[in-house]
Amino acid sequence: MADLRSPRPAVRRRGAAAVALAAAFGLVATAWPLLAAPGGALTESTSGPWLFALLLPVVTAVVLVQLSEGGMDARAVAMLGVLSAVVAAVRPFGAGAAGVETVFFLIILAGRVFGPGFGFVLGNTGLFASALLTGGVGPWMPYQMFAAAFVGLGAGLLPGPGAAAPRTRRGRFAELAMLASYAVVASLAFGLLLNMSFWPFAITQGSLAYVPGGGLGENLSRLLAYSLATSLGWDLGRAVTTALLIALTGPILLRLMRRTARRAQWN
Amino acid sequence: MNTVPGRAARRGAHPVAWWGWALLLATAASRTANPWLLLLVVAVSGLVVVWCRGDEPWSGAYRVFLLIGATAIAVRMMFYVVFGGAEGATVLFELPSVRLPEWAAGFRLGGAVSAEGALAAAWDGLRLATLLVCVGAANALASPRRLLRSVPAALYEVSVAVVVALSVAPQLVSGVARIRRARALRGDTGRSPANLMRTVVVPVLHDALDRSLALAAAMASRGYGRAAGVPAGARRVTSAFLLTGLLGLCAGAYALLGTATPAPAAWSLLAAGAGAAVFGIAFASRRVPHTRYRTDAFGARDWAILLSGGAAVAGTVLSGVAEPGTLWPQATLAVPPLPLYAACGVLLAAAPALLAPTSSTKTGPR
Repeated sequence: MADLRSPRPAVRRRGAAAVALAAAFGLVATAWPLLAAPGGALTESTSGPWLFALLLPVVTAVVLVQLSEGGMDARAVAMLGVLSAVVAAVRPFGAGAAGVETVFFLIILAGRVFGPGFGFVLGNTGLFASALLTGGVGPWMPYQMFAAAFVGLGAGLLPGPGAAAPRTRRGRFAELAMLASYAVVASLAFGLLLNMSFWPFAITQGSLAYVPGGGLGENLSRLLAYSLATSLGWDLGRAVTTALLIALTGPILLRLMRRTARRAQWN
Repeated sequence: MNTVPGRAARRGAHPVAWWGWALLLATAASRTANPWLLLLVVAVSGLVVVWCRGDEPWSGAYRVFLLIGATAIAVRMMFYVVFGGAEGATVLFELPSVRLPEWAAGFRLGGAVSAEGALAAAWDGLRLATLLVCVGAANALASPRRLLRSVPAALYEVSVAVVVALSVAPQLVSGVARIRRARALRGDTGRSPANLMRTVVVPVLHDALDRSLALAAAMASRGYGRAAGVPAGARRVTSAFLLTGLLGLCAGAYALLGTATPAPAAWSLLAAGAGAAVFGIAFASRRVPHTRYRTDAFGARDWAILLSGGAAVAGTVLSGVAEPGTLWPQATLAVPPLPLYAACGVLLAAAPALLAPTSSTKTGPR
């Protein structure tokens, strides 16, 4: 039990170590096509993405166990449940149109208000609940959950006090601008990393394909061309819609969540 | 709910068994590009789904994943036609070709489309589609709610949050309807997004968040939260296992990337890390003082389902040793040979169709 007066789950030293190790693992799991040296064990094997998709849930579970060790506050659990339901409810709005992503803005705003640990867990529970509700637990889900968790974690780590609103009008504007630009960076990085994780799997021959063991120089230009040909429109759409949603709904949602966070301090 | 005697016996197999079976089958499919074998895997998964699935909302997931798989093949073919791929002797037709300038990566678009290249692209797409179809089979067979009950006890709070989310989501929908009706009664029927945001979305969210506080108070007053239960020593041991496991996984993954570490050492480092992590989670689960209402036992039938999935993987491993080349056939127009051991293994994976057929066909209508 950390702070009895706040529902924000605190990330302690061991939790931070687990998150850092998981981030290092996630980097290999997604960026291995660029990092693998010629002659390394991964380049000869075609089951790299499959292996990582199986190991990522284990890593995620370990981090979640470590973050919630010693018990999570009932308020945090209830708030997580409700916000996950909201994430699951708004997610289908983005499914129809290309590149419209309606999940990240909520995770970013909640991570900002309730802190990095809460953002990490919300990224996982929100996408998991949505997958269970729609019956779509695909091989992409471990990657999505992992990425959304880190998007929420990053939003919680942004500078400035997240739990209290800035005093001045300028401060509020600066906070929104910071969150929106974070959203753009996070969405583009998410698209590129996700692309990379299954790129060697999606296409194996031709000028867009991954060259096993080709090294950074050879594969980077191919990866950029592949992204340009397939998903850049989606990634840009995701970045723009997330930033727009934050700019439009941010003021009101931040106020709402901060009010709830204040009310939750009932000791 | 399940008070009728014998209902437990009529319940389907354990969801973890279904997921394990499907993932093992998919692992077997990821180890080959032989179209016969891949089609056999799809056929086996389809057979088992048709025989064993229940009559639940998620039972139709298999068809959706079949469609997604077909899309994957179509997209892969389109990539081949537009961006080129394997060259072949038998040219089917020629597209006007454009070569991008050097600064734009110098790729060729269009050009000759050969039968060999098209076949290679189709098989490649088929492999991805087979993986997707196997996962779709698990979606159709395993009950998500029972799966949630099998989450390790150490993830208790997180799984409670997901359960709360699953029950709150329908309430959100009814909340939207209620608030819209109240709004219409007040004579406010404006449809501008800003107005909707202020008069519908904000009240719904407010309501949901307030309800979460009430729920938290109810949970706290009934003794949820296990802060006091776990001694500091046990927590330190758990953390040690978890962090060692993560460290091993990281070190193994990075060792796989480079050439400095021999492959067997890197693989065993990865396996040891995964083992320590799983042990850490199990150890933490044992220390959590929670009892469970009606535990979902993992019985002999569930082990048999898992084993049948393992047979498929074992078959591909045997084939890789005994008949190399058949698992990864050359992209020619000749009919590829069927790897015998792997085919037998995949056929064994159809056993769940006999082990756990849907109860309604066996015991008559409910």
